[in-house]
Amino acid sequence: MARLNDEERKNLVAYLDGELDAKTSLDLETKLNLDPAARAEVDALKQAWEMLDYLPRAEPSATFTHRTLERLALKTSVVPQARTGPLLGRWFRITWAAGIVLALAGGFAATRLFSPAPVDSPEVEQHLVRHLRALEKVRLLEQADDLRFVRDLDDPDLFGDEPGS
Amino acid sequence: MALIGESSAQLALRDPDIRLMLRVRDDDPTAFAEMVELYNHRLITVLQHLLGRPEEAEDLAQEVFLRVYRARKKYRPRAKFSTWLFTIANNLALNALRSRQRRPTVPLNTRDSGPLGPRPAEQLVRERDDQPGRRLQQQELAGIVRLALEQLNERQRVAVILNKFEDMNYAEIADVMRLTTKGVKSLLSRARENLRQTLKDYIYMDNEAPALEARDDDA
Repeated sequence: MARLNDEERKNLVAYLDGELDAKTSLDLETKLNLDPAARAEVDALKQAWEMLDYLPRAEPSATFTHRTLERLALKTSVVPQARTGPLLGRWFRITWAAGIVLALAGGFAATRLFSPAPVDSPEVEQHLVRHLRALEKVRLLEQADDLRFVRDLDDPDLFGDEPGS
Repeated sequence: MALIGESSAQLALRDPDIRLMLRVRDDDPTAFAEMVELYNHRLITVLQHLLGRPEEAEDLAQEVFLRVYRARKKYRPRAKFSTWLFTIANNLALNALRSRQRRPTVPLNTRDSGPLGPRPAEQLVRERDDQPGRRLQQQELAGIVRLALEQLNERQRVAVILNKFEDMNYAEIADVMRLTTKGVKSLLSRARENLRQTLKDYIYMDNEAPALEARDDDA
């Protein structure tokens, strides 16, 4: 009677699991048919394996899914915070920069709109030239309370040169 | 492996679990809850038999699902989704077992059940007195098989549990455990021989129940 060698004995479990190639499986099966002791060994391996069916399948607690989702929510509420922190900081900086630019632009526009034209503009120069005489006498004019009095001073009949002087 | 050579799209079309995971990856708001519902029984069963502690199994299963969620954007459907899931579960379970070994618990006095309640064997004896024989026998056998499983080393236990409870073939177990198919074959051969040796006195008990009762009478 052909006995199983060590290699064949090691193959018994793979044979039961259908993990041997066709030829090895057939050779082993032939030997098993001829060897009652080997067949008993295979049978015992099979029975021991089937005893694992006595182990209970787990019954998760009714709240398992809910608790898992809660735990996920806790974790993800931390993670996005950690992720959006720098993101918020970046937006904060961008907003501040944009605000400063807008404020500067607004200030410039307001200055242009409401402040007098600069002294070196052509309009001002023309204005100054047109009133040059008045400007030259501005100190005297400041002392006069009445513009009519100033015009009277310019009347030759009142303040002309003395005849014969 | 059967999946080699298939494109991701082909895999995704064929495997509804992959389609579900792709929905999780794409932030479908209901997909993650569906996945937890779909897999929690299987995952907790495997972890419970690996760790031997139901409450720890649930905690670890939650952690596995959270890891899946965190890694969702990196997910690529290269193999069956369950292979990926149980690879994460296996890594976490082995870490938990090693961490437990580094922090051993103080053994209870064997003569005293203490405040934590009866030990499994005591529980079985107590139930033996007030439960019908058939249920008793099944519970007792479950206890015996659990002890036999615990006597296997970690790797043998993982291979046995994936093979038995997840019906994984050797190639899939090899993927999960980062072994060769040949390595898995050898591991399972030794594991099942160990189980046969440990369980040899009980192997036909489910068919020939009186054997256990006779031992109880003797005790």
